[in-house]
Amino acid sequence: MTVELASALAAVVGADHVRTIYGQPALAVTPGSPTELADVVRITADAGAAVVPVGAGFRAARVRGLGDRRRVHLSSERLDQVVQLDETSMLCHAQAGLTGAALEKILAPRGLSLGDYPPGILSSSIGGLIGVRTPGKSSARHGFFEEAVAGVSAVLADGRTIHTRVAPRRSTGPDLARALCGSEGTIGYITAAVLRLHRRPEARLLAAYRLPSVDAAIAAAFLALREECAPAGLRIVDASEARLHFPEAGLADGQALLVACTAGPTDLAACDRDLIASAVAAEGGAAADLGLAERWWRRRLGTEPTPEPAPSFQASAGPGQLVAAYHAIRRALPAARLHVSRFDLDGAVVFATLVDEHGDALEGDALTATVARAEAAATAAGAWLLGARPTALDPYLKALRAQLDPRGVMNPGALTES
Amino acid sequence: MVADADRVRRELEGIVGPRRVSVRPGDLDTYARDMWPRLLLARRAGATPTMLPTAVVWPESVREVAAIVRLARNLGVPIIPYGGGSGVCGGVVPRFGGITIDTKRMAALRGIRASDQVVDVEAGLSGERFERELTRRGYTFGNFPSSIYCSTVGGWLATRAAGQLSTKYGKVEDRVAGLTLVTGTGEVVDTDGPRRAIGGPDWTQLVLGSEGTLGIITSARLRLSPAPQLKVFRGFEVDNVAAGVEALRRVLQRGLKPAVVRLYDELDTFVNSFGHHHHDEAAAEFRHTHAPVPLPGEGALPPLPPPPRATDDDGPLERLLGMVRKARHGLRGDAFTAVLDRPRLINRVVGTVAEKIARKGCKLIIGLEGARLRTEVEAALTFAELERAGARDQGEEPGRAWLARRYAVSYKMSPVFRDGAFVDTMEVATSWATLLDLYHSVRTALGKHAVVMAHFSHAYPEGCSIYFTFAAHAPDRGASERLYDQIWKDGLEAATRVGATISHHHGVGMLRAPYMAGEHREAMAILTALKHSFDPDDIMNPGKLGLAARRWEAR
Ligand SMILES: Cc1cc2nc3c(=O)[nH]c(=O)nc-3n(C[C@H](O)[C@H](O)[C@H](O)COP(=O)(O)OP(=O)(O)OC[C@H]3O[C@@H](n4cnc5c(N)ncnc54)[C@H](O)[C@@H]3O)c2cc1C
Repeated sequence: MTVELASALAAVVGADHVRTIYGQPALAVTPGSPTELADVVRITADAGAAVVPVGAGFRAARVRGLGDRRRVHLSSERLDQVVQLDETSMLCHAQAGLTGAALEKILAPRGLSLGDYPPGILSSSIGGLIGVRTPGKSSARHGFFEEAVAGVSAVLADGRTIHTRVAPRRSTGPDLARALCGSEGTIGYITAAVLRLHRRPEARLLAAYRLPSVDAAIAAAFLALREECAPAGLRIVDASEARLHFPEAGLADGQALLVACTAGPTDLAACDRDLIASAVAAEGGAAADLGLAERWWRRRLGTEPTPEPAPSFQASAGPGQLVAAYHAIRRALPAARLHVSRFDLDGAVVFATLVDEHGDALEGDALTATVARAEAAATAAGAWLLGARPTALDPYLKALRAQLDPRGVMNPGALTES
Repeated sequence: MVADADRVRRELEGIVGPRRVSVRPGDLDTYARDMWPRLLLARRAGATPTMLPTAVVWPESVREVAAIVRLARNLGVPIIPYGGGSGVCGGVVPRFGGITIDTKRMAALRGIRASDQVVDVEAGLSGERFERELTRRGYTFGNFPSSIYCSTVGGWLATRAAGQLSTKYGKVEDRVAGLTLVTGTGEVVDTDGPRRAIGGPDWTQLVLGSEGTLGIITSARLRLSPAPQLKVFRGFEVDNVAAGVEALRRVLQRGLKPAVVRLYDELDTFVNSFGHHHHDEAAAEFRHTHAPVPLPGEGALPPLPPPPRATDDDGPLERLLGMVRKARHGLRGDAFTAVLDRPRLINRVVGTVAEKIARKGCKLIIGLEGARLRTEVEAALTFAELERAGARDQGEEPGRAWLARRYAVSYKMSPVFRDGAFVDTMEVATSWATLLDLYHSVRTALGKHAVVMAHFSHAYPEGCSIYFTFAAHAPDRGASERLYDQIWKDGLEAATRVGATISHHHGVGMLRAPYMAGEHREAMAILTALKHSFDPDDIMNPGKLGLAARRWEAR
């Protein structure tokens, strides 16, 4: 059933780059250029099949509801080139298949960087980074990752390629690039993006503090942020997690550890560090051993292993709901290890590591039940869950998709009401 | 089917009552235009507007707005949202008649949520009242357009406006957490998500800048900053535009965020005659003295400058026009039309004078404000960086002078339109790598027809905007309009050619509609699709933003 399509696509990308997915009416295709990718989309659409974007940073292909409709799992893996690096404007035009981490390697020797985003997110491809929105793709220094996008190139359902024009800001209608960002390949398949870069900071300063409670630590964090402090990273670890991750901190139940890294020109990094120190003091906290912060930073960069298991639940909340969300999750999950990070003025994310009484990761039904409990508690406290999406504008998204993609080619299973 | 005016009025009265609907000729005339200078040319010639609204209505709630939009849909008439009418691109002109919705009776500041630093505000609130109320409560929104006294929050959001302090606070689109919108279907939707990190496209960013073509923004949730604890303003001098641009780039790319960044080119530096510098002879000839204005009390906003008097002659625009006129006289009895035939001559005459004056270089105003500690540190770093880049510190005086007069300039437009001259501004933007290219290209394009000065403001780590002011003369309305259109065509096409955007913050309206295809190329497909999705019957502000209006043009 997919044989004809496969040979038509192989004629474009080469037989080596078309693979049948066993047991599914699906082909895995990896085009080698944006032009090839556009041809693949056109041919797939004309064959009545669907395009499902796959690759680092994308959600697992949503094929529910597609029945036995044929589909092409389209990967941007081979689109991994830097098209142009404009060091004067600090803009990088890169293809979508390049991962954030790979791009960082190219930028580093030039004293440039994507910026202080959580290193974890940079394992995604650029296409995944901007095509899928998740909480935590955010930095107190630079804002949400989408704001780094100065322009995108994408292939629409009819095979047409569009390039949104690059300008620092503009008043020529809505920001059209934003129709593609976060749309998970439903509006178009992103093939490249122009990203705003930052200089590698002249200084990085670490600090650790002990606070009487998580509430006090959260209050201190927002106090500093409102004084315009823009840390490269800030994390609040509660006693349950500190016992495993930072045992020498000796936190008593209820206490919190706050670790922070400030960065920028030396004077500014020092200013931001001092702002955090004053905020902590105002909330009744005191400095803790610097070694704790250094350890945190090494783990964050991956140069030292982080104790297992990794967090298995997260919820984000605004500054006004964060304390309540933390406590709700704490109460619902008495055994879990919690930390709060990804702070910016819009809020932060609570991460929970779900373990049993022996400290082993929960699995199977126990995990499902616990996650359900955590979700209910977090939602009731006004927090938002990963992948949550207000559905009020779904009819408009549907109409937009119908306009650009009347045959429903582009990732038809995604962003639909389930 | 075109609904007759009387029916429209009656049906509107059914929604809002008899007192908040008008079909009086005076009102229709008022609501036929905004501050687009091209419309002033017609008005100056005594022409009455040809495109009038059918009725004007002043709703007081989102419910009423929704009912009006549904009515328009049923009757098949356009809706034109109208805020302060301060737009400079003809955005509110009712090209195909219809119901003009004035938002100014929806003007409540509903509340500030301190924990989240956001405010819920209705779209019709005037910018001035909004900022004054925030100041009183210890906050700022940070958007200070020169039109703050005559524009609305909704108008800002609909055009993606920029204020004088945008380099720190961002343009308005950088400060929005969510919008409430009545779409072209008459439905009320809310784009306010749980933080920004949620699935699907960011609808807020897809509505901002839509200039009333997708729906009417009735309220918004906006991000606030604490009112600044400290303000530091300084003037610098640089050798030339290129040196100034380089200095600014270094500051911004070091991660520093001054609130105000304004680099004036040679002519703009002269025309603005900052501070009290000793000019050489040529300068003295053109110098219009003005008393230094004292720094106003520490509010975010000075009181509204008094309206211009016919005798006022102290604004930069007048000085610019003074040059045009003097240049004309310099031609010794040459007929006025002869000057028009040789517009480059004006520029050359003026250019020589400006160049003489400009030996001293270009003026740069830098201002920082915000939280005390951080602002102090950032100011020290910024000034040091500028000096390293060769800028010469001129002390606080030029900065204070700018601060004191920053709203005065724009309100002196009308006297400028006396005796056949006109003035307009063109704001474009691009990356640092192409910025000088943009400056020279647009300046050359405009300079064929008009006297041109420019300043660089609204800077970003990746680029900057350029604000051109141009003045020209033509004998009559027809010639003025032709000249006006030609100037814009040449200027905007020059911007597109170097890859810049054709508008940094004034928007599209009717003025830039013909250039939208060049701006967005194939990506217009997305804008068109958005339009169909939000406004399937094409009733929302048709004929704007470069969108096709086939339904109406056929008539
Ligand atoms: C002297 C002067 C100085 C200026 N300085 C600046 C400046 O510094 N920075 C700057 O950015 N601009 C400036 N402008 C331009 C203008 O003030 C801005 O474009 C402003 O944002 C327009 O606001 P308004 O309320 O007057 O909108 P209007 O002129 O009433 O409308 C502008 C457009 O938005 C639409 N619209 C208005 N309200 C809504 C709504 N609630 N929902 C949907 N659509 C709506 C209208 O249909 C129209 O298309 C200046 C203008 C003047 C005359």
